[in-house]
Amino acid sequence: MSASAFSHKPHTGRQAASATSRRSFPLTPYLFLTPYFLLTIVFFLYPLFYATILSFYQTNGPTRKVFVGLANFRFILSDPDFHIALRNTLLYTILSVTTQVPVALALALLLNARRDKLKSFFRLAVFAPNLVGSIFVGILFSVLFVPRYGLVNRTLQSLTHHGLLIAWLNEPSLIMPALLLASLWMYVGFNMIYFLAALQSIDASLIEAARIDGATPIKVFWHVTLPSIRPVTTFVVVMGTIGSLQLFELPYAMLRGFGPKNAALTIVGYLYQYAFQSGDLGTGAAVGWILTLLILGASLLQLRFLNRGQS
Amino acid sequence: MDYPFGKAAFWILILALLSGIGVAALNRSHRVHRPDLVFLTYTSDHANVYAPLIHKFERDHHVTVDLEVVDLAALQERLTAAFQVHAEVPDLVELGVVLMGSATKGPLEDVGFWDLTDKIHTAHLDDQLVSARFAGFSSRGHIFALPHDVHPVMLLYRADLLAKLHIDPSQLTTWDDFTRIGRQVTKDIDGDGIIDRYMINLPDDSHDGLQMLLLQKGISLFDPMGNVSFDTPDAAETLCWYVRQTEGATRISFNAQGQQNLCRCMIDGLCLFYICPDWRSRQFQLDVPSLSGKLALMPLPAWSPGQRRTSTWGATGLAITKACQHKDLAWQLAMSLYYDKNQLGPRFEATNILPPLKAAWTNPAYDQPRTFFSNQPIGRLYANLAPFVPSDYANPYTSIAQAKLRDAYLNTKLYYRDHPNADLMPIALDQLHSAAASIRQIQSRNVLLETAH
Repeated sequence: MSASAFSHKPHTGRQAASATSRRSFPLTPYLFLTPYFLLTIVFFLYPLFYATILSFYQTNGPTRKVFVGLANFRFILSDPDFHIALRNTLLYTILSVTTQVPVALALALLLNARRDKLKSFFRLAVFAPNLVGSIFVGILFSVLFVPRYGLVNRTLQSLTHHGLLIAWLNEPSLIMPALLLASLWMYVGFNMIYFLAALQSIDASLIEAARIDGATPIKVFWHVTLPSIRPVTTFVVVMGTIGSLQLFELPYAMLRGFGPKNAALTIVGYLYQYAFQSGDLGTGAAVGWILTLLILGASLLQLRFLNRGQS
Repeated sequence: MDYPFGKAAFWILILALLSGIGVAALNRSHRVHRPDLVFLTYTSDHANVYAPLIHKFERDHHVTVDLEVVDLAALQERLTAAFQVHAEVPDLVELGVVLMGSATKGPLEDVGFWDLTDKIHTAHLDDQLVSARFAGFSSRGHIFALPHDVHPVMLLYRADLLAKLHIDPSQLTTWDDFTRIGRQVTKDIDGDGIIDRYMINLPDDSHDGLQMLLLQKGISLFDPMGNVSFDTPDAAETLCWYVRQTEGATRISFNAQGQQNLCRCMIDGLCLFYICPDWRSRQFQLDVPSLSGKLALMPLPAWSPGQRRTSTWGATGLAITKACQHKDLAWQLAMSLYYDKNQLGPRFEATNILPPLKAAWTNPAYDQPRTFFSNQPIGRLYANLAPFVPSDYANPYTSIAQAKLRDAYLNTKLYYRDHPNADLMPIALDQLHSAAASIRQIQSRNVLLETAH
């Protein structure tokens, strides 16, 4: 900061008094923080507290409720549909994170290597799907995956002479690949931007030194690039995991429901069914708590694993 | 005067104050100018028909009526939430059976709709309307909405293609006849290994087709008392039939997912027959005008000779909320919109939707030949089937039951794919039993409903 920043006109006596009084009781920061705290209390802490209470009730909306103790949790944990939702969510999370992170990194490396003017165009092109909502992406892919008339099947047919009648969204075994494809298209650009920013911030002299020492491009990537972007990788993996565990609107829009044999039912979808379609907020709240614990556990585990040995 | 926290904070405060005043003023103005009746519907097709009638009603009764169109999914969820928290709700609402089911999940006193049972009896509407149509809007013997339609189901077919294939649709009187011919015409015409012509378009990704065929047999997902009622040998037989028509070497159907693909499929002549409730005939008229004069309607084939030749698909009703301040006025508006005989002729011409008021069917509009449908009087065709439309009972668990039915179908289909020569009946019955058992288990959790009995 330059000295001129401090060289305004001298304080008047009144301003000086005000400054002194503010020093003695620093009200201003609290005033600025008040809206945040109010919003947090009203829209986060109170719902959290109330959801905990609700999870022990069976409800028909918030006004009609009957205390059922742990029955909601017992029901959820023994419900085959919840098991399906849990399995789908975990499977999607593992597959989506393990496909998206390498693809996003690969794209970022490709873009980082380019020096021409098309770099910005490619960056925008890859990032653009993230600008549209997941509902739009869901509807778009539901049209692309239609048997006989859909673009995906038409392309497959013209390339391989097979696949025209593949019912992507009607075969339980094909729904997950279709979802992964759609989510890859949508989110890979978002993660790529993080990696690109991290790659651009690597000290070029480190790479140069490694090259002078005779390191191959693969060794440079493995021993210099990857460790340098480790914090961003951790961030992308953790955020990707949290987002994936909360998957709902993409499959719901793509399949206009949860698909045959609940192949696209996720934990949030299960919560939505009970809390908002059936009006049973108690069961919904219990599902919400199970999901919260799941996200917390997964995030802590990942942070511990990914940060191991970093110090 | 200097604001002590700087200009940015000052302007934020000013904006916050102005916004607050604006919101408060708008809210007050909304309350002051609330119309006498607020009416929500979920389709602009209905709204367009109602708008001139509502203007007339406003003039005749010196009242104001606000007509709004809200997407069905949004309407269902917002209304359910509004009932639950006692928030402001409209006076009249057009709704489907799913919303009626979820609205009746708890004790009767919690239902947010006005109980119309006595009004309906007093007005003798139960005699004048197709009685089966009350089933979708009733719970525990109480009627909460007036039926808007009958929605009989027929088969729409490509008359030009059938003529070329020398198929006489009048001979397809049973599903056995239909499938026999279907196996002959479903074939790969150009020898590229892909079937180029199917007998019928049947949905295999939802409950719709199967549920409609179960209803044709008189099997509703739930009985009037709310008990699950689709795990019977008769239902299993239908399930087996459906599986065989949608899978493997016996397949005669194609599923064109979505309306656009369905239209493409019709234009291409990929399928010869299409399930066609009255509301869908209008969609086809709008979406495939190029097929005008090439399409015609016939009743559904019966399961056995002499049995029912129709079913039903969908239902809309008009409910008056308990919160409505002018219930009698709302009732009068409902009567004028739904059961004014003079309006129902032109309305059929505009929508192709058959009203449940039997007296309306004598209007000449129902006998009008339609060029699009090869000059058939489609109003008369649907009206002739209307008295035989089955009852489809509303239930809070309808959505879950539909999903379970679809899964039972899919599991049976997967089994059939691997065991094409096996006896499907035990598998189908087992699947239906399993689906019904899981619904019963969910029903048994509803302590709110139990305490209400």
